[in-house]
Amino acid sequence: MRPGTLIALLGLALAATLCWSLMVGAVPVRIGVVLNTLFGLDGPRQDFIITRSRLPRGLLAALTGGALALSGAIIQTILRNDLASPKIIGINAGAALGVLTASLLLPKLSASYLPLAAAVGAALAAGLVFLLFELRAVSSARLILIGVALGLFFEAIVDFLLITVPGAAVSGPLIWLTGSLWERGWPELSLIWLPLTVLFAITGLLSYRLDLLRLGRAQAVGLGVRVRRERLVLLTLATMLAALSVSVVGVMGFVGLMAPHLARALVGWRHRLLLPAAGLIGAILVTFADATGRIIAPPAEISAGILTAFIGAPFFIVILWRNRREVQP
Amino acid sequence: MMVQRLSISALTGTIILAGAVFSLATGGRADVGAAEIWQALTGPGQGVALTILQDIRLPRSLAAGLLGMTLGVSGLILQTITLNPLASPAILGINQGAAVGMIGALIWPGLLAPEWLSIAAALVAGFVTFAISGGLAGRIDPMRLVLGGVAVGTFAYAAVRFTFTLDDVLAQQVLRWTVGDIADLRWSAVVRLAAIGLPALALSFALAHRLNLMALGPVGSQSLGHDPRLTLILGLILAAVLCGVSVSVAGPIAFIGLIAPHIARRLIGGDHRGLMPTTALCGAGVMLLADGFSKWLLAPLEAPVGVISALIGAPWFLWLTLRAKELH
Repeated sequence: MRPGTLIALLGLALAATLCWSLMVGAVPVRIGVVLNTLFGLDGPRQDFIITRSRLPRGLLAALTGGALALSGAIIQTILRNDLASPKIIGINAGAALGVLTASLLLPKLSASYLPLAAAVGAALAAGLVFLLFELRAVSSARLILIGVALGLFFEAIVDFLLITVPGAAVSGPLIWLTGSLWERGWPELSLIWLPLTVLFAITGLLSYRLDLLRLGRAQAVGLGVRVRRERLVLLTLATMLAALSVSVVGVMGFVGLMAPHLARALVGWRHRLLLPAAGLIGAILVTFADATGRIIAPPAEISAGILTAFIGAPFFIVILWRNRREVQP
Repeated sequence: MMVQRLSISALTGTIILAGAVFSLATGGRADVGAAEIWQALTGPGQGVALTILQDIRLPRSLAAGLLGMTLGVSGLILQTITLNPLASPAILGINQGAAVGMIGALIWPGLLAPEWLSIAAALVAGFVTFAISGGLAGRIDPMRLVLGGVAVGTFAYAAVRFTFTLDDVLAQQVLRWTVGDIADLRWSAVVRLAAIGLPALALSFALAHRLNLMALGPVGSQSLGHDPRLTLILGLILAAVLCGVSVSVAGPIAFIGLIAPHIARRLIGGDHRGLMPTTALCGAGVMLLADGFSKWLLAPLEAPVGVISALIGAPWFLWLTLRAKELH
């Protein structure tokens, strides 16, 4: 099948998943009613459930899933390591630390500053990773270990903050830390859709440079790429993509890892095709996980992040297993 | 030489222990300090101080010390059999696996004693991580070991968090040990911990010689007629038992199993016959200090001891990954 057709099919699959996510939940809604509500047709409608709650949530899931997937694809390419992802190298935990520090220490802060706090925290983690990678020239395998350690350190601080800050409401952050779209809606969507769209566009424009960087440092330099600067730009891009999604849906594990892998299996290595495919797959994954979490034990909800971890951790193990000849440091 | 080293380690261990016990006696919720406790001990055995000492402080400190020993030795065994200074029960996912076992014990009470269920689950997690890293085939890849452990641990934690959503009462019980807390441990917990922990510690000491051979590396140890795979499996089982029983009592306390062996190795060197008891002492010392801090830092409130140990241990782990040469 041609890659273009595959991407079109992925787009259709995303539309179908979104549609399905509008139907399911504590109150099931039939497909006819969903379509009536969405397109303002005559007949029975469910304005409150669909437009107020499920539609923004589904869109948020798709956007953040896509952002995480792109972030993962960029990171895997610039580190030239299949096992990398925003979560593994500590960017997600950094963003979480930023958001929690801001919201716990400055409780009066408006929620619209939280993406900024996430970006600061994530940039901290990414900056350290970048410095080590570029200046001390550590191997990418060891960089991942350092990222894991950094993530654990940030998580320890997060736990400490959650427990020690007096009067902090803990249950909200706890749900958010597992990665959940619970109680997310139009306000969050209006906050992040524009920056994310801009970042998507920039990522698309830079896809050619990712192709070059993927060749490796020597070849890229030979082709006239200023490797260090390009890496810095792309890592910043990946960090911002991950930070914005973490600021809204929390630490959604393994999406940034799985989506690029699946996309590569479908359309290969050229980033002009790989990036849209990865983005769509990430969007489908998170939308699907969120909708599934609502129907497992209604009216209770299982956080989408728990479900992505359930799928993602075994997936990660399979990659480790298949790469056992290659990851030797 | 050996005697001298042993006496150094014994001295250091005693000082650590004494300091930790002191910090324990002075901290705490009730208005009882070291002076009051000393009075209660020396004077006629009556009063609030004595009750607090007997029923609250003493079992808690004993539990902390025992936990430090079991976790520390468990970490040491793992570091030796994997030949990897980054290994520890938490990094390899064994801690989190044991936590899943505890959830199982809550969901199906009466299936098995919680300790044993948690040990069994720890064992499963350990074997999965080892299988991923290639350890069961005899050659452990350090990178895959850590990453596999992280994956196993994340998966197990997803399972633990999954239960939060099933039932509110269950969620409350579970939340208490996801960070590792020893605030409510009394004598019954100490007995449960000691009943399995002490025999397992004794067995670990008996394994010291095999671990020494293991530490020579695969070539060296096989040339001396030692089967590394047997030691690997025995060590994994012991490490899982030690870690499982401590998780069943106090929850997954991270990083003690990482720190204690490193401190002990600094003090006494690599011979496991001395290293093993020193690690146990250092584990107890670090754990007691962490417990003292957990009570003193936010007094009159308490921070769970797991949070304190993570705050000390996570930067340590970061530093280890930054300077470990073995990974190049």
